[in-house]
Amino acid sequence: MTFTLLARCPKTGQVGIGIATYSICVGLYCNGLRGNVGATMSQAFVNQGNNPLALRLLAQGYTPQRVLDDLEANDPNHEYRQIAVIDRNGRLAASTGAKNRGWAGHRVGEGYVAMGNVLTGEKTITAMAKAYEAATSLSFERRLLAAIEAGRDAGGQSGVDGHLPERSAALMVYGDYDHAEIDLRVDLHDTAVAELRRAFEEYDPYRTYYRERSKNPKDAVPQYQFVAELEKKQQEAAQ
Amino acid sequence: MTFSLIGRCARTGRLGLGITTYSLAVGGRCEGVVANVGVCKTQAFPNRTNDPLGIKLLAQGYLPRRVMEMFAINDTEHDYRQIAIMDRDGRIAAHTGPGCRGWAGHKDGKDCVAFGNGLVGPQVLEGMIAGFLENPGDALEYRLMRAIEGGRDAGGQGTPDAHRPERSAAIKVVDRRDYPDVDVRVDVHPTAVAELRRVLEEFKLYEEFYRGRDTDPSKAIPQDVFVKELDARRRVRA
Repeated sequence: MTFTLLARCPKTGQVGIGIATYSICVGLYCNGLRGNVGATMSQAFVNQGNNPLALRLLAQGYTPQRVLDDLEANDPNHEYRQIAVIDRNGRLAASTGAKNRGWAGHRVGEGYVAMGNVLTGEKTITAMAKAYEAATSLSFERRLLAAIEAGRDAGGQSGVDGHLPERSAALMVYGDYDHAEIDLRVDLHDTAVAELRRAFEEYDPYRTYYRERSKNPKDAVPQYQFVAELEKKQQEAAQ
Repeated sequence: MTFSLIGRCARTGRLGLGITTYSLAVGGRCEGVVANVGVCKTQAFPNRTNDPLGIKLLAQGYLPRRVMEMFAINDTEHDYRQIAIMDRDGRIAAHTGPGCRGWAGHKDGKDCVAFGNGLVGPQVLEGMIAGFLENPGDALEYRLMRAIEGGRDAGGQGTPDAHRPERSAAIKVVDRRDYPDVDVRVDVHPTAVAELRRVLEEFKLYEEFYRGRDTDPSKAIPQDVFVKELDARRRVRA
């Protein structure tokens, strides 16, 4: 029970993930992204060893398909996993094991994989893929967000007694650095995708300020002053 | 303005970081917590490249003290950074640059180092260490949680006449595997420490179920069934 869009941005070369699920704290499991290497995600019955191993294999030069073959050879429970692998050139491979529960599947497009399990139906991943493809005018992180919102709006996840809410969600993007460019999470919430959107819109104006503060600390205004100015600007804009 | 504690469980060797701050989404900037290597956290005016570099240097075998010297040489703005490093054996180095704003400092305790800036005073660090040492038999994630609660309850960030709320918080604990054991976050919230306690308590109820689903999927019950059973147990207890 999870729906995910894993992608490489064709414009910037960044790799990223948008993910939402009924499980809590899903961001904990999204440790498969690295700048200049690629992106991978194992979900459904997660094998937590998969992501670090897949990243090392990509870094050694294996193609995504070869990485996926290796993960399969290495895991007696491979048929319970759902996995996507994308390298820094946008080549990709994906698999949905036969023992995933509920409706489960993946859809592969140009530089991205939409995948999910315990879903209301194929429409959840189709909607994610279409929203991601359509949002070409938006930044990469906004495209990923639009994808999981579309997955939610198309019905999201469905369990034993019908629809399952998104209780956690995450948005991560890696670029040229060893650290994330954005790594934003909602770990425990009744409407985690809506809350992730709220957190993103709240956090987004701070990103430039945080970057500048690191590079040029002596000229940085105190953060509470930055916040006061931001709130003033937002009030003016609302009027 | 931030207050953090790096700690090590002497019993298990697990390492971890507890952190909270007025800034948003601080947990997304804590990549320096690595199993079998150590913990490195740069804050105040953070240099984002420090922590990945520090981890690589520790992994090569350098002592925390030597890593800190390399940071000083490698960064023209070192005076504005606040940094703490602990290796897997619990050795510590810490630095609070004179350019850090407000009350800023660091303090060692048994198996831990507390550090913060933009604080109401040194009592915040003392509160953190006291919280960490309160129940040494507890799992490290609970000790880190008590540490940041102790810092909050001692006054937290701001000045005596202008308190600044905690708007994000995180706890990360690593054991022997190359992914975290515990990694819980609150990114945008008006009382982030209280919310992190709520997330941690909930996560601990699921932890074993999630592990079992990984290692033995054929026996795993569906999660919505697990949640129903969990809710039933909660009702009985209430």
